[in-house]
Amino acid sequence: MPFVLTQPPPAAALGVFLPNSPLAIVIVLSLVVGLLMVLLFGYTSNQKAIKVAKDQLKAHLLAVRLYQDQLPVVLRTYGRIILGTGRYIRLAFMPLLYVIIPITLLIVQVDRYLGSVPMQTAQPFLVTVQTAPDTLNGVSLQLPAEMSISAPAVHVPADNEVVWRVVAQKDGEYDINVLSGGQTYSKTVVVAGDVSRLSPERMRDRFWERIFVSGEPALPDSSPIESIAVTYLPRNINFAWLEWNWIVLFFVLSMVAGFIFKEVLGIEI
Amino acid sequence: MKKVVCILTALLLSAGGLMLSSCQRASGEWHGDRKLIILGIDGMDPQLLTRFMQEGKMPNFARLAQQGSFRQLTTSIPPQSPVAWSNMITGMNAGGHGIFDFIHRDPKTLDLYFSASRVEPPKHAIHLGSWVIPLGGGSADQLRQGQAFWQILDQHHIPNSVFRIPSNFPPVAAKGNTLSGMGTPDLRGTYGTFSFYTDDPTAAAGAVEGGQIIPVQVENSQVTAQLIGPDNTFRKGSPPATEPFTVSVDPMEAVARIAVQDQEFVLREGEWSGWIPVEFQLIPFFGNVKGMCRFYLKQAHPRFQLYVSPINIDPANPALPISTPSSYSRDLAEEIGEFYTQGISEDTKALSDGVLDDKEFLEQSRTVLAEHRAIFDAEFPKFQKGVFFFYFSSLDLNSHMLWRLTDPKHPEFDASAAAQYGTALEDFYQQIDQVLGRVLPKVDERTTLLVLSDHGFAPYYRSFNLNTWLLNNGYITLKAAPSADNNQPFANVDWSHTRAYGLGLNGLYVNQRGREKEGTVQAGAEAAALLREIREKLLALRDPQNGLPVITRVDLASEVYQGPYAREGPDALVGYNRGYRAGWKTILGDFPTEVLEDNTNPWSGDHCMDYTLVPGVLLSNRKIPMEAPALTDMAPTILAEFGIPKAKGMIGESVFQPVRAAR
Repeated sequence: MPFVLTQPPPAAALGVFLPNSPLAIVIVLSLVVGLLMVLLFGYTSNQKAIKVAKDQLKAHLLAVRLYQDQLPVVLRTYGRIILGTGRYIRLAFMPLLYVIIPITLLIVQVDRYLGSVPMQTAQPFLVTVQTAPDTLNGVSLQLPAEMSISAPAVHVPADNEVVWRVVAQKDGEYDINVLSGGQTYSKTVVVAGDVSRLSPERMRDRFWERIFVSGEPALPDSSPIESIAVTYLPRNINFAWLEWNWIVLFFVLSMVAGFIFKEVLGIEI
Repeated sequence: MKKVVCILTALLLSAGGLMLSSCQRASGEWHGDRKLIILGIDGMDPQLLTRFMQEGKMPNFARLAQQGSFRQLTTSIPPQSPVAWSNMITGMNAGGHGIFDFIHRDPKTLDLYFSASRVEPPKHAIHLGSWVIPLGGGSADQLRQGQAFWQILDQHHIPNSVFRIPSNFPPVAAKGNTLSGMGTPDLRGTYGTFSFYTDDPTAAAGAVEGGQIIPVQVENSQVTAQLIGPDNTFRKGSPPATEPFTVSVDPMEAVARIAVQDQEFVLREGEWSGWIPVEFQLIPFFGNVKGMCRFYLKQAHPRFQLYVSPINIDPANPALPISTPSSYSRDLAEEIGEFYTQGISEDTKALSDGVLDDKEFLEQSRTVLAEHRAIFDAEFPKFQKGVFFFYFSSLDLNSHMLWRLTDPKHPEFDASAAAQYGTALEDFYQQIDQVLGRVLPKVDERTTLLVLSDHGFAPYYRSFNLNTWLLNNGYITLKAAPSADNNQPFANVDWSHTRAYGLGLNGLYVNQRGREKEGTVQAGAEAAALLREIREKLLALRDPQNGLPVITRVDLASEVYQGPYAREGPDALVGYNRGYRAGWKTILGDFPTEVLEDNTNPWSGDHCMDYTLVPGVLLSNRKIPMEAPALTDMAPTILAEFGIPKAKGMIGESVFQPVRAAR
């Protein structure tokens, strides 16, 4: 069965076995996913056929070395290597597909936690509202008591946007309200020092965009507001004297874990 | 049996390794507990310090002076910061370390270059259409010669940290943490080039001293412009790399959103941004250079005016070496946030050019000091033993710019500005006193504290145009009349009929045969006679405005410099009287009409004068028996504190020795 994460895991679920360290989360996630990938690959693939395909490839490579002075044999063997590689890719494709789909969904969900850092207290951030051109001057922002506006709104007619600079005084998860045409539209903003689930943008129901960007309900189609966005800063994780985007680090570590588990479990990849 | 032999061999090798490592530890570690703390305060003036101490405004300095020592410190010849700090660093004068001025010249071509460092592109390259493929890397070379005191300390395994000391870019190899200071260029390779974007049609577009005025248009409340980065040596002709940015100005309110690469921020009119990282693309997808800058929205309406600071080297991703170890600047940036890395951080040129006003300059200048204090506050508590050096630039650059607000005799004195900002310089002095207040509690019987400045300060009322004077007195001949359009150094000079020329703030050079490209004066007796003649005339000069001597001493290089580079700098050093200095144009080989003129530049205080008139300060918690300590005594003093004899070529002595040895 493909591993599909239908509900976003609450931060507490990740915190069950980990401190609030993004690096620790990525390492554990990589180990678990590396193991699951190998198991899933082993379960969904034709292990016997893959082994035969790999053995044949090895044999052809050996033939190239053994008969390097016999050109017709070498050329024939090269052809077989190409065919053998195609056969191997065909055998691995379906299992890989089973692996890739759940991992993509997993990455999208985990990115809500690890992709950006929450707002910090006393650190200004921008709230950008994109609206219909005729309502640009009729949009206002209502903030909770723990937040304040630190500069007048910037109206950008060229982009149909209104931008506010906001500062939070206290950690917490807040709803900020955008008022337009007598209606109120809210957006969640997280101010925290640790890993939290973040949604940088609330937008109208643009399905694919929402999957990758937004973690909030869609704005009504009848709304004059196209989107409400806040600028969470991207997160970098320090590992091995380098700064990593968590997805790249996860990819590298889960590959390493996968190769280790494949040997331990005797699964052909 | 084979197994036993293997085990024995392994044991022997392990034991040998352990012994070797313990031997190395024994010879590579210093077991002393002495501490030497040095605060280098550029431009702290003994007269101002005395006054502020007497007025009770600098209680920590007063306590140190009372319980320890307070001496005037003889500065360098000439008393310019790169020269003075090189004296301090090496214990030698300019003849030993080779730094004679901010600006040097190649005698064969008369091309000018910065004295302290040289950043060069790769020497060889392949040209493909509009692209240039370099064969090898470029280089950043430090031009100061001689060993730095911390390099000698390293050889004796004395731990040390040296922060922001001038004349140390790129930083010399060192075991401790060092961060380069004055002399560190911006990303464009200059001492600092700001950009000013405006739609004001009356603003003169183009390059100004220290910056660039860039005309822009506000269309549909938006401005699109380019940040100007380093020269792209991968492109034919090395045009500057640029990165676009967009400013959206609110149609009604004085506020704007600025978008640079993937960053957006909002500034109100009169507000500064924090450090904004910028990446300049030199080769698409491959060669990027990272820098950072600050934005200041000077005016949103009715005219758009946006100042962008020089693009600084980003300490978190340094494009050029600015620290040892190279990772140190990144660690520091992670700890305290980004900070100005360009050596002269205070944007004095923006104030001189009228791009920033007094209030804006002061805000920027206070930010610089706040950043320096943040570095100090992060590093000083970590200091346990050995040597800790920390440099502050604020008093020097603010004395240069704010002197006119404290001196009613200055041509640029403005009573209303003085009423508003007249105590600003005093405030900077008091901040340095606060820094000392953090140091004093850590000074115990095993600690020596030295607080020193490289020179003092004096008013700069009048400019003397040395090259115009040389021209008027027949030492320089021109092929044609000086042209205001030609900014090339020594444009139109007929070198075949020129005998001497002025260059830099105090330099006087003989156009010497065999050295200069078209030398006319024979080295030896002829050159010596010429220098004597010019010296007598200069010393006899009186300012017609007040009858005061303009120049109070002229030192001959042959008499004041010792060391292997003594003949590579100016042949004579012009020492101006208090209140006088070389004019801005003459120092770069230009010929203004007047020989003497009022200084109407906000740059109103200076020290590039007769070195005896602008001594620095030296304070210590210990008694200083030496009668006339000098900057060249500092390196020997530092070494002597750890029992290390002074190095070859050092001309000073420890200031804690009662009598100066004969030189």
